[in-house]
Amino acid sequence: MYLAQSFLHSLIAALIVDTALLAWKIEAPVIRQRFRLLVIVLPIISFPLYQAISPERSSALFRLEAYFDIDRWLHLELWGTVPVGVLFLLFLFFTAMVFILQEMLPIARHTLSSGHGALEGVRPEPESRVTRALEGLPGRKPDVFIIDDEAFAMFSSTGKDPAVYLSGGLVEKLTLDELRAAIAHEIGHIQRSRRPAMVLIFILRVLMFYNPIILMEFRRIVQEEEKICDDMASSITGDRAALAGALRKFYDDDGEDPAPFPSDAPRLRDRIEEYSHTLLIEERIARLEDPPGPSVNVSAVYLVVLVTILVVNYYVV
Amino acid sequence: MKRTLGGMLVFSMMIAILTVLLQLLNWIPSAVQDGELQRYASIDEVRAHLKIKTVYMPVYYPRSVQWPPSLIAAQTLPYPAVVTEFVRSDDPGETILVITQTALPHPPLVEKLRLAAVRESVRYEFKGRTALLEVGVCRKDEQCCRMTWNEENVGIALVMRASPVELVRIAESMITRPREAGHPVAGTGKQRRSPGTRN
Repeated sequence: MYLAQSFLHSLIAALIVDTALLAWKIEAPVIRQRFRLLVIVLPIISFPLYQAISPERSSALFRLEAYFDIDRWLHLELWGTVPVGVLFLLFLFFTAMVFILQEMLPIARHTLSSGHGALEGVRPEPESRVTRALEGLPGRKPDVFIIDDEAFAMFSSTGKDPAVYLSGGLVEKLTLDELRAAIAHEIGHIQRSRRPAMVLIFILRVLMFYNPIILMEFRRIVQEEEKICDDMASSITGDRAALAGALRKFYDDDGEDPAPFPSDAPRLRDRIEEYSHTLLIEERIARLEDPPGPSVNVSAVYLVVLVTILVVNYYVV
Repeated sequence: MKRTLGGMLVFSMMIAILTVLLQLLNWIPSAVQDGELQRYASIDEVRAHLKIKTVYMPVYYPRSVQWPPSLIAAQTLPYPAVVTEFVRSDDPGETILVITQTALPHPPLVEKLRLAAVRESVRYEFKGRTALLEVGVCRKDEQCCRMTWNEENVGIALVMRASPVELVRIAESMITRPREAGHPVAGTGKQRRSPGTRN
């Protein structure tokens, strides 16, 4: 019952949050991320919370008067033989597998490989463009390494000794301002990774490993995170156009020379991933070039959305 | 301010649509398949619609119980079960008695009345059956009692906000024949008022 209700509650919370973001035209990524967090947190606690407040919530009378009773669907037999409940469990099992293969295994691999020093790069020369770009940034700077790769790549490692890694191809193609903006974006990631809230979000997400809605919502939170770091980079450098230019070069690089695929299935999957990645970059460029206007009274809206989710989900059993 | 209020209007409309959609989706299973938990107007309707042959109903009701039941609900999926709820005669907002019958070995449907704490539990024998009679309190520290026993392949449970004496009388009135000589032990299920026991 917990599995079914937490799935439903997260689905309804996601619909309500998306509706609110559209209705009030909320575009600030920090605020959007805060709203999306409701979709991850509330379904974890809603079922036990409702049951503690009102034990008769699972009674026959309450179920009859509820907006939606998932039991009615789970007991429905397709073609008189297969209960929908069995298909629902298979669906959750499939999601759990996707979570393990797409999220946990890469993390485990990365942890193992970084433990063996697989991440190798060289420090930039004192007079290089990377060093000059770093000099233009205020505050404490992380270590920067250049990895020997012609493709466009840039990422950061967090933890005790955070570092920014840039590929040789990227350093070559970006202008000095773009390089500075790109490094500032990675500094944004490093600074935000120190926040315990981010770790907490990930732990909550792991608890809901079977829930496809949480899987999707966590990815959207990660996408908002990219936009938050874009804003941080823009405020550090004071140059939105430079970061937009750097992203555009990433986008152009993605578009050229697609590697041949051995079969149609991975090609389709990779193309979908590539397409969504491109969409995200386009969206980020558009935000940087045309900054969103002032937001509404977010605290009041947040309260309205929170109460709406809690009330609607109370009547979903 | 204007944007906040405009957003509120759009948001309210969308939430109204969402709740209507949820109720529509909730209705679909009962439209395509009989047997889902559903409200019925009378016990006869339950019998006719769900083909549940025997529905155990008391023939005695104390004055404090309002007739007819405030809820008659039944299902055959995933297993046959019937639940009836009664409210207090002087307070129609308060459920005072809940009777469930469930095909064994399934657990009874979750009742609106539940014993929060059991203070005493005894075996009670009546008309050839052995029931479990529990006395305790419900949520607001009111005295509550529960009586459960099996009738052939059906589990019966009664929960009432009253003294066990009243509950036992109700339970006894549900069984019209003692369990002996291989007779079926079903009550008639006929809903009638016992003379002298009602207002």
